[in-house]
Amino acid sequence: MPAAAPASPRRARPAQLAPLAARQALPSPLLPPGLLERLLAEAMGRGADFAEVYVERTSTTAVVLEESRIKSAQVGLVQGVGVRVITGAKVGYAYSDDWDEPALFRAARTAAMISQGGGAERAFPIKRVAVPSHYRVAQALEDVAVARKTALLTRADKAARAFDSRIQQVNASYVDQTRHIAVANTTGRYSVDTQDQSRMSVHVVALGKGGERRTGMYGSGGRVSFSYWDGVTPESVAEEAARQAIATLGAVDCVAGPQTVVLAPGWSGILLHEAVGHGLEADFIRKGTSLFAGKLGEKVASDLVTVIDDGTVSNARGSINIDDEGNPGERKVLIENGVLKGYLFDQLNAKLMNQRTTGSGRRDSFKSLPLPRMTNTFLAPGDHAPEDILKEVKRGLYCATFGGGQVDISNGNFVFEVSEAYQIEDGKLGRPVKNAILIGVGPEALKNISRVGSDPMPDPGMGICVKDGQMLPVGVGLPTVRIDNVTVGGTKVG
Amino acid sequence: MNYEQLAKKIVQRAVKRGAKQAEAYLEVGRQSSVRVREGQIEDLTEATSKGVGVRVFVKDRLGFAYTSDFTPAGLERVVDLAVQLAEAAAPSKLNGLPSAKDLGKRGDTGLLFDPKVANLPGDWKINAALEAERAGRAEDARVATFDSVSAGDFVSEVYLASSEGATGGYSGTYVYLVAVPVAAQDGQLQTGFWLDYKRFFDDLESPESIGRQAAKRAVRMLGAKSVKTCQVPVVFDPLVAANFVQNIAQAADGNAVYQRSSVLAAHVGKKLAGNHITLVDDGLLPRGLATAPFDGEGVPTRRTPILDKGVLSGFLYDAFTARKAKARTTGNASRGYSALPGIGTTNLYLEPGAQSPEDIVRQVPRGLYVTALLGHGADPVSGDMSCGANGLWIENGELTHPVQEVTVAGNLLQMLKDVDAVGSDLQFRGGSAGAPTVRFRQLTVSGA
Repeated sequence: MPAAAPASPRRARPAQLAPLAARQALPSPLLPPGLLERLLAEAMGRGADFAEVYVERTSTTAVVLEESRIKSAQVGLVQGVGVRVITGAKVGYAYSDDWDEPALFRAARTAAMISQGGGAERAFPIKRVAVPSHYRVAQALEDVAVARKTALLTRADKAARAFDSRIQQVNASYVDQTRHIAVANTTGRYSVDTQDQSRMSVHVVALGKGGERRTGMYGSGGRVSFSYWDGVTPESVAEEAARQAIATLGAVDCVAGPQTVVLAPGWSGILLHEAVGHGLEADFIRKGTSLFAGKLGEKVASDLVTVIDDGTVSNARGSINIDDEGNPGERKVLIENGVLKGYLFDQLNAKLMNQRTTGSGRRDSFKSLPLPRMTNTFLAPGDHAPEDILKEVKRGLYCATFGGGQVDISNGNFVFEVSEAYQIEDGKLGRPVKNAILIGVGPEALKNISRVGSDPMPDPGMGICVKDGQMLPVGVGLPTVRIDNVTVGGTKVG
Repeated sequence: MNYEQLAKKIVQRAVKRGAKQAEAYLEVGRQSSVRVREGQIEDLTEATSKGVGVRVFVKDRLGFAYTSDFTPAGLERVVDLAVQLAEAAAPSKLNGLPSAKDLGKRGDTGLLFDPKVANLPGDWKINAALEAERAGRAEDARVATFDSVSAGDFVSEVYLASSEGATGGYSGTYVYLVAVPVAAQDGQLQTGFWLDYKRFFDDLESPESIGRQAAKRAVRMLGAKSVKTCQVPVVFDPLVAANFVQNIAQAADGNAVYQRSSVLAAHVGKKLAGNHITLVDDGLLPRGLATAPFDGEGVPTRRTPILDKGVLSGFLYDAFTARKAKARTTGNASRGYSALPGIGTTNLYLEPGAQSPEDIVRQVPRGLYVTALLGHGADPVSGDMSCGANGLWIENGELTHPVQEVTVAGNLLQMLKDVDAVGSDLQFRGGSAGAPTVRFRQLTVSGA
C-alpha cells in the first residue's frame, strides 16, 4: 500500500547560476554511448520488442545534529547499471553495480533470457536528445563543502532552543543528493540528466506541564542550489518546528466521528496524493485493481476539484527533466472540475493500454524497475477567500500541519495524519487537539469538498512517496479546503 | 575475492591515514525474483550487489563514507573521504567503536544458510507463484484478479573488521512468496495479501496455502462498511499485533529513552502490563530472519527482554548510546553498508499465551477484529496511536460483517494495560517482528 510522508528526522556566498550550456557541456561521468549501444545489442540478442540501459551514479551527503553537536557527517556513492528487456508483456531485468564490461554484458545477457527466440545480429544506434531544464543549479550539491552544510544545522539548533525554553530536544538533519542518470533504449532515444536535491529537517520535543511531551517537525528543500538556504534560512525552518511543538502543548483528546474539517494550505496536498493520485497510476488501472479503473470521463469529485500532476515546476522537489525511462516530465490534468481526465503512464503500461507515456516512469535507483508515479500533485485554486472558509464553520476541526498518509488502492480507503489541529467553534480556532487522523474513501471525500480557497500553496519540499518499497521525492500542494462529513479518528467519544 | 581480508585492508589503510579507530562493514548479495499475473510471467529480475561502509574516529570525531565502487581507486577514495569527513563533526569523548570488552563471546546462532534456498532453480519461483495464483482463483470465484504474485530468494554475506579487534563474517539465505489478490462484488474492490518469508526452504508455507489464504482474506472484506463510533473490545490479528509490538520497541530505543523523547522513559522497572505480556528482542532466535552472530558493529547479539511479565525491564542500545546512558550495548546496532549503525530490533516478538485465537474472539460480545492497519502507528514520544483499520465486526463472539473506513485510537501505555488476552498463535510473517493474536479490553473505534 503506497504511502507518503514528510521526510522524518535532519554562511554561504550566494552562488551565480551557471549558464545551462556550460552544465551540459560537462563530460558525462557515465558510460560512453558506444558501450551503451553494444549493451543494447547484447540485450536484444535473443530477440525482444524493446531493451533499455539505465545508468546511475548518485552521491549523497548527510549531516546529523543531536544534542547540539554535529554527530556525524557522511558521504556515499552508489552507482550501477540496469538492463531491461521487454517481450510482449514480459519483462526481464538485471542490474550490476560493477562497471566492468564483462559484468555489464552479463547483466544484459541475463535480462535477455526473458526472450526465448534467437536474435539476429543488429545494431541499435542511439542519439542524444535535448532535455528541458526545470532545475538548473549553479554548482552541483556534491561539490559544496561539507562545512557549509554542517553550519546550517548548528544555526537551526540555536534558533529552535532560543524560540522557547520548553524546547528540550532538537534533532536536525541535512541531506543532499546529486544523481546523474543516462537512459538509452532501442528506439534510439538517449537522454542524460543531473538531478540535485537538497533537504533540511528539524525535529523538536517540547516539555509541558505534568511531563507532557509534544513533537514538532518541519523541513524544506527542493531541486535547488545551495544558495536556497540564504532565502529559506535554517532559523525559519527551526522556528516553525518549535512553534508546532509549543502550540500543541495542552492539546485535548480528539473527538472521534464525522466532522467538518478545514485543511490549511500546503502539506495538506497529501490528501490528494493518497485519495486520488495513487489510484490513477496506470499499473493499477491496467490490472483493474484501482477503484478509478474504467472511470475516464466520469464525475469522481465535486465541481470545485481540479487535480494536476506537474513534473515541470521550477526547482520543485518532485520535478523531473526526464523520467527514469528518458521521457520528458509533463504537466497533466488528472481531474478537471470533478471529471476524471487522465491517468499517469509509464512506457510499459502505456504501450499495453495503447496510450502515450506521460513521462511518469520513475524508479528509486538502478536496482528497481520503473513504475508509474506522481511528481508534484496539486489542487488548482478556487474562488473562496480562506478567511471566509473558516468563518462559515460552526463546529469542526482545523487541520494545520500534517504527518504522513497511506492508501489502499482497491477500496480507496486512505488516511492522513494531522500533527497540529484545532477545534473550530463559531468560525474561530479553539483549543489544540491531539492524535487526530482523517480517514475516507477517495471519491467520496473528493465529492465532499465544498470550498476551495484562492490561496494555492506548495508544500515546503521534503515529501517522500513509497510504492513497492521504492522511495521517491515528490511534491504536493493544496489551497485552503473545506471537506464536509469526514471521519476523524480520536480517543474521545461524543 | 576474500572479503574478510578486504575489510581488514580497508581498516589498515584508514589507520595509516590518521584514524585512531576504524571499521569496515561490507555487504555482498545476490537476488532473484519473479512476478506472475494471469498465468504468465510479468517480470524476472536477477542481480548481484555489494558495498562497503567505512567508519573512522579521528581525535574523537566521527567520519563515515560508503561506496559500491570496489575498484582500487574507489576503495582508496572511500577511506580518504571518511577520514576527511571526521573534520566536519564535533568531537565527543563518548565517540568510539565498541571496546574489546563489548565485543566479547558470540552466542550460538544455529544455521543461517540453507543450500536449498541458495540453489533454488529459477523454475521453482515461477511455478510456485503460478500455483499460488491458481489456488487463489480456485478458492473463490469473486477473486477478480491479482495485483501480483511474487516469489524470490536472496543470499547475503556480511563481513566486518575493526581496529579494536572485531572480525568476522556470515552468510544467510532468504526465500519468500507473496500473493495480493483483488476480490470484486457489486462494484466494490477489496484486497487482502498473504505472504511468507523464511530463511529455510522447508519452513516456507506452501504456494497453494499462500494463494488460498490470500484469497480468503480478500473475499471476506467484500461488502465492508463503516460502523458507528464506539468504545469496544478490539482484537488485533497476528499481523496487526506485530505492528503494535514494533511501536513499543520503537519507544524502547535506548537513545530516545536517554533523550527523554520516549513515552517509556519515565517507567523503567515499572509494571506496565499484566503477567501475560513478555516482549523480547532475540538476535539468536533459532532460524530467525534477523538472527546473526554479531550486530552492525561487531557486538555479539543476544536475547533482551523489553517487557518481562509486564515489567519494563530493558531498552535497546548500540555502543555509542550505551556509553551515553551509562549502560551496556545490547547488540542492537542495526545498519546496511550505506548507513551508520543505529538502534534497531533483531527478532522481536511477543511471547504467546495459552488461548486459541477462536476463544479470544468468542469471549467478545460486541467488538472489532482488526486485520489491517493504515498509517504510521503510534508516536513514540507521546505514545498516542491513531490508525485507519480494516477488519470484521464481532457480535456475540462471532465474526460477522466486514468493516472499513474506521480508525482505532489509544495510547501505548493504556493499551499495554488493556491487553486482556494473548493468543497461542505466535507467528513471524513477512518480517522479523512477530506476535500472536492480542485483545484490548477497550479502544475507541471512530466511524460514521
